[in-house]
Amino acid sequence: MHRYRFVLFRPLQFLPVLFGISVITFILVRLIPGDPARVLLGARSTPTAIARIHAQYGLDEPIWLQYFYFLQNLGKGEMGKSILFKIDVLKLILTRIEPTLVLVLTSVILSILIAVPMAALAARNNGRLADHAVRIVSTLGIGFPPFWLALMLIILFSVKLGIFPVSGYGDTLLDKAAHLILPSLTIALSLSAVLTRSLRAAMIVELQSDLATAARARGMPESIVFWRHVLPNSLVPTINLLAVNIGWLIGGTVVVETVFAIPGMGQLLVRAIFSRDYMVVQGVAMVFACATVLVNFLADIVTVTVDPRVRL
Amino acid sequence: MSEPVLSIRSLTVQAQLDGETRTLIDAVSFDLGKGEILGLVGESGSGKSMICRALVKLLPSKTIAITGGSMLLSGRDLVQLNEAAMRSVRGADIGMVFQNPTSHLDPVMRIGDQIAEGIRYHQGKSRSEAKAAAIDILGQVGFPDPARQYDNYPHELSGGMRQRAMIAVALSCNPEILIADEPTTALDVTIQAQILKLLMDLRDSRGLSIILITHDLGIVAQTCDRIAVLRHGQLLELGDKRRVLSAPQHAYTISLLDSHPSMPEEGGPITAEAVIDAPPVRPLLEIDDLVVRFPTPGLGLFKGGRKHIAAVNGVSLRVMPGETVGIVGESGSGKSTLARAILGLTPLSSGHISFDGLDLAQQRKQTLAQIRTQAAMVFQDPYNALNPRLTIGETLAEVLQVQNKVPTSRIPERINELLDLVGLEREFATRRPRAMSGGQCQRAGIARALAVDPKMIIADECVAALDVTIQAQIIDLFRELKSIMNLTLLFIAHDLAIVRDLCERVVVMYRGEIVEEGLCADVFARPQHPYTAALIAAIPDIDPDKPLLRRLPGQAVPHLLTA
Repeated sequence: MHRYRFVLFRPLQFLPVLFGISVITFILVRLIPGDPARVLLGARSTPTAIARIHAQYGLDEPIWLQYFYFLQNLGKGEMGKSILFKIDVLKLILTRIEPTLVLVLTSVILSILIAVPMAALAARNNGRLADHAVRIVSTLGIGFPPFWLALMLIILFSVKLGIFPVSGYGDTLLDKAAHLILPSLTIALSLSAVLTRSLRAAMIVELQSDLATAARARGMPESIVFWRHVLPNSLVPTINLLAVNIGWLIGGTVVVETVFAIPGMGQLLVRAIFSRDYMVVQGVAMVFACATVLVNFLADIVTVTVDPRVRL
Repeated sequence: MSEPVLSIRSLTVQAQLDGETRTLIDAVSFDLGKGEILGLVGESGSGKSMICRALVKLLPSKTIAITGGSMLLSGRDLVQLNEAAMRSVRGADIGMVFQNPTSHLDPVMRIGDQIAEGIRYHQGKSRSEAKAAAIDILGQVGFPDPARQYDNYPHELSGGMRQRAMIAVALSCNPEILIADEPTTALDVTIQAQILKLLMDLRDSRGLSIILITHDLGIVAQTCDRIAVLRHGQLLELGDKRRVLSAPQHAYTISLLDSHPSMPEEGGPITAEAVIDAPPVRPLLEIDDLVVRFPTPGLGLFKGGRKHIAAVNGVSLRVMPGETVGIVGESGSGKSTLARAILGLTPLSSGHISFDGLDLAQQRKQTLAQIRTQAAMVFQDPYNALNPRLTIGETLAEVLQVQNKVPTSRIPERINELLDLVGLEREFATRRPRAMSGGQCQRAGIARALAVDPKMIIADECVAALDVTIQAQIIDLFRELKSIMNLTLLFIAHDLAIVRDLCERVVVMYRGEIVEEGLCADVFARPQHPYTAALIAAIPDIDPDKPLLRRLPGQAVPHLLTA
């Protein structure tokens, strides 16, 4: 399996990337105007109280020393103590990771389930009514901001029809699923619009390609030509587009979790930013960055599997 | 002729374009006998590919349709069949082999599966039965280890093996008729000979009837039983191969035969070598022990660094001013890399190139400046080598401005001169490449090279993509320019007949090295190196009595010949 040798070596390249990410998030967080001690103390903030909190969280140290402590903590599997929640950031993130992870996964699966049939319908009816309809829908999907889509879905399915809960996250599996359908749909509608456009364009090219002609010339019916030859050959650019969009997708969960009040990492991030909880913001940012790197790595593996010509 | 398996009567294909009807195939009639190989010849646009597309009713556009005639295949008229019935004809009765196996094979599917696919669909066999049948067919088309090679992807095979794989796909359902559309045009001459031999063997062993589309009369002469000559969608001449080749009836067939760059038998006295040594001039181009290496793809982390392949390995060559040197060799022999190295487009690994006395390795900047103002290149694909957004006039003006050899006020005048020189009407200055034919584009490409006012032109396979008659015109143009302008010409080609026609001296490259060098007449008459001999033997001769396959040597030269 010579083709997959990069799976062994590629992770080595992640180390400098992750180091760079940690430096950048560390500095960026501290550029946010405001002071966590002031936010925490509110009306009780006096210079001595602020100084006491600064000393407690090491915020009075020079910034390079703070970064050193941060790395030292990482080595011990900790991310420092949250100012707001008073527990270790990594433990805090672990309690919040499940809803976000499930939300991202279901959104991706849902958007693929929407995009492939839509693109297939459009490409196979290129220039006809179905094609125009798909193009209009996908343009709208790109145009509507997720928070607005989320509100519309809530009004329609929760308020008017009462099928799904308005917000929150359940306890049982079934309850959780019911709570996640509208949020996933919100993200999937936007994401699938991008994927549909890319996939449709690739399919139209492949439908007229020489390999499709050759398959027809050996008597293959159009359905086999399409699903067995055209689709796999159209997938590669779309897989990479999906990987690139993961960053956007994670950004989307922040908005969607806030709108649907899902206790995930996105919601945590928003609260941490408002409280200037440096430790939590940089911890969540690190996790998001790692996830993006990991997803792109997975996309590389999928690409190599789908297209045997690709060498990495 | 034996009982026809296919009988075409007044087949007419028309295209509807903006309410206008254009006739692409004009009432063509012919029969195809059992076990017969029928050659369809004609230049691009003559309709030879369109006829074959019409036969399986896979026309390239919805605006094109069969509007008349009949195509009788074992009692059924294909013109009347509906799409579902046609599907059982395609593959099962008529198999197709296309020109470019790379684009016609599915790159993400194992070749064995592509063969088995048709067997399972048409014959309803199980997965394992189909696989066994596919392995059997792979063996028949010359795969040495079919069981293992079943699992290969197309990109893992050489060009010749890919074409064999495509023939295997076409044969998978035991068709009676095989349509081969320019099956060897993309291949090297020695591989071409093997593929043609394979087609003839298959005809003999399976009683296959073959329609062979080609622009190369040599191929027709060597393989076909009858020849059909087409132009502008009309069948001009149809007859026995020997009759058509020796006594052509139609004026177009005669011109087609005349423009074939054939390889006459050569046995004259050895030309005096002294001709080269005599003039005591400095060579314009001097290449000394040139090596160009490329790193192999992939990381060699634990294997002691990257490995390198020498594309050009120790080449030495001298080119005198005004000389025409042909460089021949198969793909992968390093001839294009050599051309790129001369123009400074590829870094040299070791050795020297000096142009007009300046050394490219030592005084890189100066020499490059010198080369770029005194040498120019003509490329293989004229459409891709010209900027599609610029008119020909703009393209030429750009070169003239950059070169700054002609005062700005004289540029329009110079453009007209250049167009005259390459035989294009002056109004072509306002045209864009898309509105021109391949031959006209290549003339524009030559005009652009001439705009540099070069001492030397490097032409890299510049006629390979053109029709025979257009090829002959471009070669004539080069010959004319050479005599008017005292041009030094480095002519890279895989087509030996053309090189022999145009060049004084020839250099034969094989795996990055020069294996033979000398005056054209000598090298072609008495090749010294077995590789050169094999190359010459593999050219299909227009005379059917000089059979290609008997002259094809065994495995005299390893590797390239066994692709």
